[in-house]
Amino acid sequence: MRKVISAGENSILIYFGKEIDSGLPAKIKKISEVLKKKFPNFVIETIPSYTTLHITYNLVFHKKKYNELLEEIKKIPENKTPIKSRLISIPVYYGFEVGLDLETVLKEKKITLDDFIKIHSSKEYLVYAVGFSPCFAFLGKIDKKIQKPRLKTPRVEISAGSVGIAEKQTAVYPVNSSGGWNIVGKTFLDMSLKDPLNISKFTIGDRVKFNPVDKKTFIQNGGKL
Amino acid sequence: MSFKVINPGFSSSIQDYGRIGYKEYGLNQAGPMDEIAYCEANYLLENNFNNAVIEMAFGGLEIKVEAEASISVTGADLDFEINNKKIPIWKKLQVFKGDILKWKKAVKGTYSYLAVKGGFQTNILFGSRSTNIRENIGENLKKNDILKFKSSKCLIPKSSKKIPDYEKKTLRIMPTYQFEKFTNHQKKIFFNQGYRISDLTNRTGCRLTGRPIILKKSKMISEGMSYGSVQIANDGYPIILMKDAPTIGGYPKIGTVFSLDLSFLSQKKPNEKIYFEPIDIKKAQSKRLIFNKHFKIHL
Repeated sequence: MRKVISAGENSILIYFGKEIDSGLPAKIKKISEVLKKKFPNFVIETIPSYTTLHITYNLVFHKKKYNELLEEIKKIPENKTPIKSRLISIPVYYGFEVGLDLETVLKEKKITLDDFIKIHSSKEYLVYAVGFSPCFAFLGKIDKKIQKPRLKTPRVEISAGSVGIAEKQTAVYPVNSSGGWNIVGKTFLDMSLKDPLNISKFTIGDRVKFNPVDKKTFIQNGGKL
Repeated sequence: MSFKVINPGFSSSIQDYGRIGYKEYGLNQAGPMDEIAYCEANYLLENNFNNAVIEMAFGGLEIKVEAEASISVTGADLDFEINNKKIPIWKKLQVFKGDILKWKKAVKGTYSYLAVKGGFQTNILFGSRSTNIRENIGENLKKNDILKFKSSKCLIPKSSKKIPDYEKKTLRIMPTYQFEKFTNHQKKIFFNQGYRISDLTNRTGCRLTGRPIILKKSKMISEGMSYGSVQIANDGYPIILMKDAPTIGGYPKIGTVFSLDLSFLSQKKPNEKIYFEPIDIKKAQSKRLIFNKHFKIHL
């Protein structure tokens, strides 16, 4: 199923499915790459997400190229070979000083901290989308045993590096920002654009694994409580 | 050749046409809130459409000229003065070493633009000079900042032929995204009321208040969002996405405001009333193309 709808005077949105599916992000990413290559001056930029691809195009070439782009979207084959995928390891300190919602999660789920750490850090997560902010990677899916809805009232400020969970997803907040995810830990890695290379730290299809570290390691590496 | 910032004012930053090509990394375009005033400022100086200018909100900015330059000032009326003398805007002007440029207070509108011949030569980050405070790219102007520009020749005087009518209250909106999924009743609420601009409005989004649109709980998967798209949040109030908005989001969107009407919107103040009226996408496209052609914008 590929449905194209209008998203503005120079943008469209392509739907590739109705449900979140771990196979989709890589396919969408690949199609995004192909379209950018085939229409270098027309497709200006893209936003791949869970089930969709947003395309901004150059209005100046609309007459010449728009129908051609639609045709291409229809017929472009789905990629069968897997795309390049990196495994990214993120050190996390799962401590109550930084995991503001950890206690609530443990109580509600009736599990110990060790259980939680084991469950959250033993899985390789898939990057389904990058957005909201640069370097904010939507990771999934987390184990049912630790799934929890977003906070009713989002926090005004969550400190950079905080690791959150919300429903089936988990993510790291790259910079201080407001947000409604349950905070369960923190990394000492700087993922802000102060280091410009961080812009491409995560891409769709990458895998991420959280690596538990103790308080001492966290602080020695610049982590802030 | 440079200008020196004596007083940065409420919020002043460097903006060019915007950052293009980084949305897939979650980094939005930034760029001017009022594209019409921004483009006119560069046009008056025969600059490239992408030359960096100063965008200032609400005034308070004071600048010392350290070398002769051709400048232009457009956008909101922020009580512009040169050496304590009131000067009309939407004009190309010649300023000289020692001159003090000052925007005293917001008389009408919010954003004003100062362009200089050749553009300000600040750092290029991710392909653009545009400041994006939300993402820590660049920062607002500070006291004693030195703003460099290329040497500029004297030019013949020039004034804007057409000044935008900032009194306009109606935003034209295209039926995009989930428009079809809104019921007739919901659309009626949307199109038949005057919304008020909330004071939570900024470069990220323009929040509106009024009679809420009650949404049935539905499963929405986060998707890419266009500049000007109008989300209906859980509380039923619209948020119009502006230049520094997040790239993806999961609220239903009732449409996308025609890009040039966002210029008028950006100049509105909290509590001012605005209305929506439908526009056909083709019509919006041809209007935008005329604009791009006039200002030699090739994308």
